[in-house]
Amino acid sequence: MSYQILGNDYFRKDGIGKVTGREVYASDVTLPRMWHARVLRSPHAHARIKSIDARAAQELGAVVLTYADVPHLKYNERIVSIPPHLYRDRTVLADKARHVGEAVAAVAAPTEQLAEKALRALQVEWEILPHYTDPLAAQRADAEPIHDSYILNGQEIPVENNVAVTRVVQVGDIEEGFAQADHIFEREFVTSRIYHAQMETKSCVCDPAPDGSITVYPTTQSIHNVRQLLGEIFSIPLHKVNVKRVAIGGTFGSSIQMNSIIPICVALALKAKRPVKLVSTREEDMYDHVRYQTKLKLKIGVTREGKITAGHMQALADIGGHNIQAYALLSVLAGWTASLYNYPNLKFEGKAVYTNKTPSCALQGFGNPQATFAAESLMDEIATELDWDPIEFKLKNYVGLGGTFWGQGPSVQSIVRSDGVPQLLHDGAQKIGWRARPKPGTQTGRYRHGIGMARGFHTSGAGAPKPGEVIDYSGAFIKINEDGSVDIVHAMMDHGGGTLEAIAKIVAEELGVPIERVGISPADTLTTVYDVVTHATRGVYAGGGAAHKAAVKVKQQIFDYASRILGLQADSLMIEPDYELMQGVIYCPNFPERRITLGALAKQLQVNSWGTLAAVESLRQVNCPPAYVTYFIDLTVDTETGQVTTNRAAIGSDCGTVVNPAMAIGQLEGGLSKGMGYALVEDNQWDAQTGQLTSKGFWIDGKTPAISEAPFVENIITHFANTYEPSGPFGAKGIGEAATNPCAAAYANALYNALDIRFTELPITAEKILSALAAQDERASRASDYLENKVVAVMQAAE
Amino acid sequence: MDKKTIHLTLNGEAREWRVYPNELLLNTLREQEFLTGTKYGCGIGECGACTVHVNGAPRLACLTLALACEGADILTIEGLARDGKLDAVQEAFLGQSAFQCGFCTSDMIMMTRALLNENPQPTETQVRDYLRGNLCRCTGYASIVRAALDAAEMERQETA
Amino acid sequence: MLPTNTHILYPEFDYHAPTTLYEVTELLAQYGDSARVMAGGTDLLVQMKMERRQPSQVISLMHVNALQGISQNGSLDIGATTSIQEIHRRLPQLYALAEACNGFSSIQIMYMATLGGNLCNASPASDSAPPLLTYDARVTLKSKTAERVLPLERFFLGPGKTAMQPDELLAQISIPAPLPHSGSAFIKISRVVADISQVCAAARLTREGNTIRDARIALGSVAPTPVRAAGAERDLIGETFSPALAEKIGKQAAQEISPISDVRATREYRQQVAAVIVRDALLRAWERAQ
Repeated sequence: MSYQILGNDYFRKDGIGKVTGREVYASDVTLPRMWHARVLRSPHAHARIKSIDARAAQELGAVVLTYADVPHLKYNERIVSIPPHLYRDRTVLADKARHVGEAVAAVAAPTEQLAEKALRALQVEWEILPHYTDPLAAQRADAEPIHDSYILNGQEIPVENNVAVTRVVQVGDIEEGFAQADHIFEREFVTSRIYHAQMETKSCVCDPAPDGSITVYPTTQSIHNVRQLLGEIFSIPLHKVNVKRVAIGGTFGSSIQMNSIIPICVALALKAKRPVKLVSTREEDMYDHVRYQTKLKLKIGVTREGKITAGHMQALADIGGHNIQAYALLSVLAGWTASLYNYPNLKFEGKAVYTNKTPSCALQGFGNPQATFAAESLMDEIATELDWDPIEFKLKNYVGLGGTFWGQGPSVQSIVRSDGVPQLLHDGAQKIGWRARPKPGTQTGRYRHGIGMARGFHTSGAGAPKPGEVIDYSGAFIKINEDGSVDIVHAMMDHGGGTLEAIAKIVAEELGVPIERVGISPADTLTTVYDVVTHATRGVYAGGGAAHKAAVKVKQQIFDYASRILGLQADSLMIEPDYELMQGVIYCPNFPERRITLGALAKQLQVNSWGTLAAVESLRQVNCPPAYVTYFIDLTVDTETGQVTTNRAAIGSDCGTVVNPAMAIGQLEGGLSKGMGYALVEDNQWDAQTGQLTSKGFWIDGKTPAISEAPFVENIITHFANTYEPSGPFGAKGIGEAATNPCAAAYANALYNALDIRFTELPITAEKILSALAAQDERASRASDYLENKVVAVMQAAE
Repeated sequence: MDKKTIHLTLNGEAREWRVYPNELLLNTLREQEFLTGTKYGCGIGECGACTVHVNGAPRLACLTLALACEGADILTIEGLARDGKLDAVQEAFLGQSAFQCGFCTSDMIMMTRALLNENPQPTETQVRDYLRGNLCRCTGYASIVRAALDAAEMERQETA
Repeated sequence: MLPTNTHILYPEFDYHAPTTLYEVTELLAQYGDSARVMAGGTDLLVQMKMERRQPSQVISLMHVNALQGISQNGSLDIGATTSIQEIHRRLPQLYALAEACNGFSSIQIMYMATLGGNLCNASPASDSAPPLLTYDARVTLKSKTAERVLPLERFFLGPGKTAMQPDELLAQISIPAPLPHSGSAFIKISRVVADISQVCAAARLTREGNTIRDARIALGSVAPTPVRAAGAERDLIGETFSPALAEKIGKQAAQEISPISDVRATREYRQQVAAVIVRDALLRAWERAQ
């Protein structure tokens, strides 16, 4: 299909602001009379607050908040799940610190310097409790409860053994399935607790008005969910809570939930009766959010013919001090596993455990990088052991066209209607030189070369025919201005990947208006209709889908009114962009002289007092099509230092119609960088004794790959499938999270290819590689000793 | 601790600042001058988000005392475009969509500008070396390298 | 977590910007322990933000011209506030030092940080110290009333600790004129490129034909201070160079150190990799010692 606008690159609409330093992020907002806030965070991993003496801080002129000053409503900060599945275990400020860095008090003062002074003047009396950095220790019968209870669906539920939630999902009968298998493979995989390392620390400004209303400028992926939560917590009717969209300096999932500082900032502003700004320091931010750390035991049965008969996944998630979305995490861990490969029989057993560490949340992929690391590592091993080419083996077993797909959990099922996997695997293999890859175990010498492959997907949104356990819909309001330009009023947040840009293109394409005449309005919760949140790789597919639906309606109005003016049937009309006039032009192919520009039409409507061409629509997508992705990694290992160099990467994406080509490539390149960090570098270690991060929250020791670790530009090969998703706007589906999901597994498989060693624990650091090589040497020398002894014994026997 | 007065040039204009000894250039720029294009990322010189030019050289504003800028010539991202015309580096970043969230874009552009001032025709290796201390969590850096090389090429053609 | 705030510089202090060396030493004599001199600020301000140091007086050295620049007076004299970037640009023939300077984590830090500052910070992970140790560098310390010269080796006492008295200032770093047919190299291992070293090593070799006339090996991030591997050095001198010898000496140097495990690396990794990079540095230094 060919399009006027989709698939072309333009200067981004937010580009001028971003390249001139004028884009406004939450941390850039400054208001008259504004005070600065600081948060008192627990130095202890688990401790009850006996008292806080705030007198000295107040004497300095600061406004002080403690647990006593804030609403005691227990809330869950991620209201994406439907109310029956919201695990409410936190309050605005804590009366008990459940992890180092938990917010227990806050101050605001005219300057940050004074706020800092006031913060240090707070005297806290702590009762130190035993703390747990290990989920196994936390589950011991005699362990101190991290939470006594939580609220679920209005009920207070006691917490036992610090287990936050469990979930079992079954398809068929795995015992029967494993009985049919000729081979059974099993491995345990451990993934790391990495930090989002988004460039902007969580920030918020709140401006209270004398009439009791508030205006909030937060770092968030969902302005509407922040609004609803603030309304509930502070008992303010929603029409008096306005949350403004400001640019986000990266979040990668860490602001799906309302960040903990937002209600603190609001509470301070309400108490101080003036605008308050709260910007987290980097060290605070590093104690605020991490990716879910999991231990995944995966068992797969296959027949002699290479067909999977059964799968069994046992997942343990270490969620930290609060349950942000552990129930949903277990659901998707089951879903990702079930939707990667066809398991006629599958059992998923998941358990999420509280520990006294930073609360975990989604990080680009939400459980998918973890599940895919396990599945794609094990599938590579199975294929190798059974003497299959991993590509062929995966093609035989993956969930593709016509398959049932329920990535977002058992309640979010739909049928796969577009599938670029065969093409991507074929193209990627060719680009990387898959057939010429080394044979494991054949290389000697210091530098060893390996090529590895992994595939995966993410869902485009969390929509399905049934309502499901998570909310998923978007809304858009589109109006035609009196000069023929277009305003899109959409609550969706753009992480920077170009979601809003894509939405503008979809609208421009549908309306036949030059993209230069389509604007994205500033958004806030007063003027937009609801959009759930920019997560789950749903921006283009669901957010774009809603905008498309509204555009279709506006287009019908355009034709209806134009038909009156042109004297032609509405159904005979067309509209397309005229770049000389910089207008959409409405015309009938049979009567080319009867034409009118959209601007002239809109102006005529105004002159005639006929009204505005506009529509507002909400859309629930009833599918969540898989955005497939394939990774081929070519690397070199220095076996003397353990250091890994990424030589080349071929990353293939099936995102349906490519709406923003340059930005889609950017998603894949960014996915590689973050995936490489997850695979090889990034880790967040907690000191078991103190419950502190070993990095102390300083970026000196929270390292991520940077430009030096990236392959050279020509060696990052990106490619796309020629697919069309029937349920997406102009055939588009998602890309964002998919872009990183299989990356770690591709690295692990490439390392196996180079070294003949399977790595099952992330990150695969230089140190781990060296010690695995040493163990390999030891095994080899033991084996040769054994062989030698055996030969000697045989010779002696012969004598 | 008392405020002191200093004089300097900021984005081509003369300025007088009254600052405390412990005031950081980063915060003076952001809070006194409202030049918020220069960002706080880590506060300890590990991310490059606060990069500005001081007397022509790239510096970290989070580790620079405002008082130490007496007499200095400071250029921030806001001063890069002149007379309503974008700098070639800004043009190139736009052309390559070499940003996503945009939070590191100011520092990446200021570093690329400093590189091209020193070395108008850098190789990719030289670009990588020069930008090694500037973190970007979105792009994976490839588009940034492409933009830097594009900017050099645009300026070469302009001077040719 | 630590009660820090890297968003601002919380500690309060008086700021001094003297223009002569004498003024600096006078201020140091006056304030002693409560003062810290500051050159580029890339270490001191970080430490103040992390609240590891809280001087009430900060004395900037950046307006003291006498402390800046590189001159050749028999020895190579480097003013303490000469930037890492300038050293990298102007002394490419001092391979190990130039490589170490380029090992700094960013170009911005190279422009801001100074050689004197890097040494006075006395980090066990200092990149510049191992090369300077292999060059037999000396440091000149000045107070209001006296001046003394110390071999760099005796300058470092422990993490963050130097032989400087509170009233003293590191004024100059001197490198003796290199012997002919000398070559040096520096190798750094870190988690990512822009990072503090997990372990680093520098080597200098002076050759006479195929014989090693003089040798120095120094390592960083393996002890409380940057250290020399004296035994390994001794076993090189007078020997005929060969890759096998470099391999053996690398292992020997690794045995001479006793690193600790910390957030960046384990003791075992440091020791194992030290042998590799000492060997590689020797091979490279030999090649350069033409």
